[in-house]
Amino acid sequence: MSLKLTDIVKRFKTDTVLDGVSLEVADDETLVLFGPSGAGKTVLLRLIAGVFDPDEGTIVIDGYDMAGVEPEDRGIGMAFQNFALFPHMDAHANIAAPLTARRDTTTAIKTRVEEVAKLLKIDHVLDHKPKELSNGQKQRTALGRALAGEPSILLLDDPLRNVDAKLRFEMRLELPRLLREQRTTVIYVTQDYKEAMALGDRIAVLDHHGISQVGTPEEIYLTPRTTNIARLFGDPAINLLDVTPERGESGVHALLSGAQVPLDPGYSGLIGRDCILGVRPEAISFVDADAPGAFEVEIEAETPLNEKTVTLAATRRHREILISRPGGTPGPDHGTAHVAIDTGAVLLFDRATGARLERQPAQQVSQGESA
Amino acid sequence: MADIARPKPRKGFRISRGLLPYLLSLPALLACIGILVPFFTAVAYSLQRYRLSQPWARRWNWGENYLNFLSDSSFWNTLKVSLTYAFLTVGVELLLGLGIALLLQKRSRFNNFVSIMLLMPLMTAPALASLMWKLMTNPGFGILSYFASLIGLEDFRWASSPQTAMLTVVLVDVWVYTPFIMILLLAGLRSLPQQPFEAAALDGVPRLFVFWRITLPMLTPFLLTATLFRVIESIQQFDIIYAMTQGGPGDRLTVFQVEAYLNFFQSTNVGRSAALLMILWAITYFLSNVFIKNWLKLREKQRGDI
Amino acid sequence: MRHTSTFERVLRGTAITLVILFFMFPIFWIFLMSFQTNETILRVPPSVVFQPTFSNYAALITGKLETAAGSLEINFMRNLWNSLFLSTASVAVGLLLGIPAAYAFGRLKFRGSEDIAFTLLSFRFAPPLLVLLPLTIYFQKLGLADTYFGLIWVYQLIVLPLILWIVRGYFEDIPADIEYAYRIAGHSWFATFRKVALPLAGPGIAAAGLLAFIFAWNNFIFALVLASADKQPVTVGALAFVTASGIQYGQVAAGIVLSILPTFALALYAQRYLVEGLSLGAVKG
Repeated sequence: MSLKLTDIVKRFKTDTVLDGVSLEVADDETLVLFGPSGAGKTVLLRLIAGVFDPDEGTIVIDGYDMAGVEPEDRGIGMAFQNFALFPHMDAHANIAAPLTARRDTTTAIKTRVEEVAKLLKIDHVLDHKPKELSNGQKQRTALGRALAGEPSILLLDDPLRNVDAKLRFEMRLELPRLLREQRTTVIYVTQDYKEAMALGDRIAVLDHHGISQVGTPEEIYLTPRTTNIARLFGDPAINLLDVTPERGESGVHALLSGAQVPLDPGYSGLIGRDCILGVRPEAISFVDADAPGAFEVEIEAETPLNEKTVTLAATRRHREILISRPGGTPGPDHGTAHVAIDTGAVLLFDRATGARLERQPAQQVSQGESA
Repeated sequence: MADIARPKPRKGFRISRGLLPYLLSLPALLACIGILVPFFTAVAYSLQRYRLSQPWARRWNWGENYLNFLSDSSFWNTLKVSLTYAFLTVGVELLLGLGIALLLQKRSRFNNFVSIMLLMPLMTAPALASLMWKLMTNPGFGILSYFASLIGLEDFRWASSPQTAMLTVVLVDVWVYTPFIMILLLAGLRSLPQQPFEAAALDGVPRLFVFWRITLPMLTPFLLTATLFRVIESIQQFDIIYAMTQGGPGDRLTVFQVEAYLNFFQSTNVGRSAALLMILWAITYFLSNVFIKNWLKLREKQRGDI
Repeated sequence: MRHTSTFERVLRGTAITLVILFFMFPIFWIFLMSFQTNETILRVPPSVVFQPTFSNYAALITGKLETAAGSLEINFMRNLWNSLFLSTASVAVGLLLGIPAAYAFGRLKFRGSEDIAFTLLSFRFAPPLLVLLPLTIYFQKLGLADTYFGLIWVYQLIVLPLILWIVRGYFEDIPADIEYAYRIAGHSWFATFRKVALPLAGPGIAAAGLLAFIFAWNNFIFALVLASADKQPVTVGALAFVTASGIQYGQVAAGIVLSILPTFALALYAQRYLVEGLSLGAVKG
């Protein structure tokens, strides 16, 4: 079902945790609520679930205003980050909680619990108490409890946070299929950008007590609205370098290591303005010294990861940049080298506000393009 | 946004979220309000000339009952006896309790067994404890009287002699309540972090120094809570003294509550009785405020500040 | 570990022996007395060698006291029953009133909740006679004088703060998320309280109940002021019994043993929670 939050404000004593959050989630959509810890993600989920009341703003589920509606009447399923299993009930009773609330028949409950358990591969531990379950089984039980009642809205509060890396990897592959099969509206909270990118139809970035950007994973990755968001997505993190675009013989360029690095002509309106140049490490590559746009860097360190190799290098003005290349491909690991930036991938942000500056396609100045 | 509707109201009785906590605590509150009323009545009594034997002479005399205390030697005696009793009992219990707690500090089967055994006096009703000691100090057959005679104290009269009455009731109080202090301090000692002690042992710090500079300061919240708790109870002690001597011999043991009880039921002087209790209440109210502050700090620390 | 010298070990051993002797001897001695007739009790010097007799207990249980002057009725069993009834009923009422309030204070936290909780706590420290003396007059007027109902009500003064503060701690220790999870799953507030909060606070509730029972059982002053002979618990009854029985010391001792046995048994059973109860929930044992 659809969900619409309008101008939500929540304070605890004098702390304003959420300050004017508005968000719409469509029917059957999976929306990832992404943000650093302390941003108020969990509080927002609790407001939707109805265990806290907002100080201001409205929460509308499927056209109904939820003000004064108790949590049990909202048709919501929720999985908690710390699982919050009922320690005195076995896994079966835990998963059955939403069904007993509806007073389903015993056989109907049993059938549904077993169905869910099989789906989550915990059907063999249904008679175990939470303390007898492994962390992964606990996590699946919590998920099962959230799913069992076939809620119209499913709230998942960082469910993979407290499980080990291997399980997290497995679940990250498994969850999208699972959520799609449920055909329900999902709000998924996470601090892990990969999880966000893998699971979300759309991502809402919650930062500084408010939503700073909503968009598809591609939109957020490729066109982050601020340097802050750009920094949160991507590993290794995006390179952010102070530049001031200049007019050169072949259009717009920025000075890096004394070399003129060409910029997209759409940026010509920004000439002379103090900017931050953002470029992802994978959009920088090692080139020959005489390649167009090449500039010189000093290699400082190299970190081979499995699927890629990350190089830390410094420009002549000792500004550090990260360069990423696919693992196994050759590249220099010491001394000086030359690199070039994929012009199409360059983002420019305003240095004062951190807001991304748009290209202006209409203002085509010349045909200066890098080969 | 025109289509935002109120949800269909659910069937059944619902209590609003804001009202619920009040409804839940209301029964307990009502039960206690019944107790608050007599409190205010007592305040009124204390400002009246009121004798049950002369109900016709009952009238407001405002502060006269209190004013009379200033020149009333038996009031000063009550104050002196109460304070002496509280000071002696708590002082002895604190030293003894701390000593025993230190003796039993190490967790071992034997120590745990002893500490549980020592709780038995604390579980004995104080009035019955007095009765037990009465039987043991009986001049005719009491075992303690016999022991006294063995060490040359012929005809040691215990509670019936003005010289030793205080000693006897203090002894009973010490017997009953030392385990209280002991068990709180034991819990405190065992909950202390171990690193400072290990570090001190490694550095070869003398044990007496460790006790004064590490153990005692860290134990202070427990000591304070246990002491205040006991002072508040001890200054109000009634059971032990009343069961032992009913305040006698003479007025040797007429502590506040015993004196008030006798004033009320024997001399039927309600006004004076109430005034005495108001003064006792003022003392305990002050002490209990100090106590609750410490107690709360300890509670938060022990519960990991929820 | 430090080296402990022989001297130190002897010192510790002596100290512990003295401590045990001081605290255990009275109980031991009264226990012995309860199996003796006046004849052996009055021997000089006293001796632990005697022919044990159950006549004291028999007399208490049958309610017939055989003295030289003839047969005397004693009501000690009645006192024991009063103690049992008053303590049980007070604890039951205390739990009924205290648990919901403890939940409100511990979990829901509302405006003024701390003030109310502390007011209830401060009752625990007020001089009991301050309330009891005016209450005797009120109870006369209300017809509550010398009734079980009146006594049970007054007993709340000791029972309620204890239950409230111990149980509150247990409710606070339940992670709020667990209760939220049950509500979100579709259960009402009351179902959550009954099926999640109550079972999880169960050990605390049991401990508070047992301790409150012990405190109620050991209480003396309330019944002394408010109850007449047929409503009196053992603490008051035993005192009257001393005067009534004249010189039947063995029976007094047997009465004491019967009166303190239940609290000892309960304390032994609930020892894990004693520290917490005695500190009104502040210190965990």
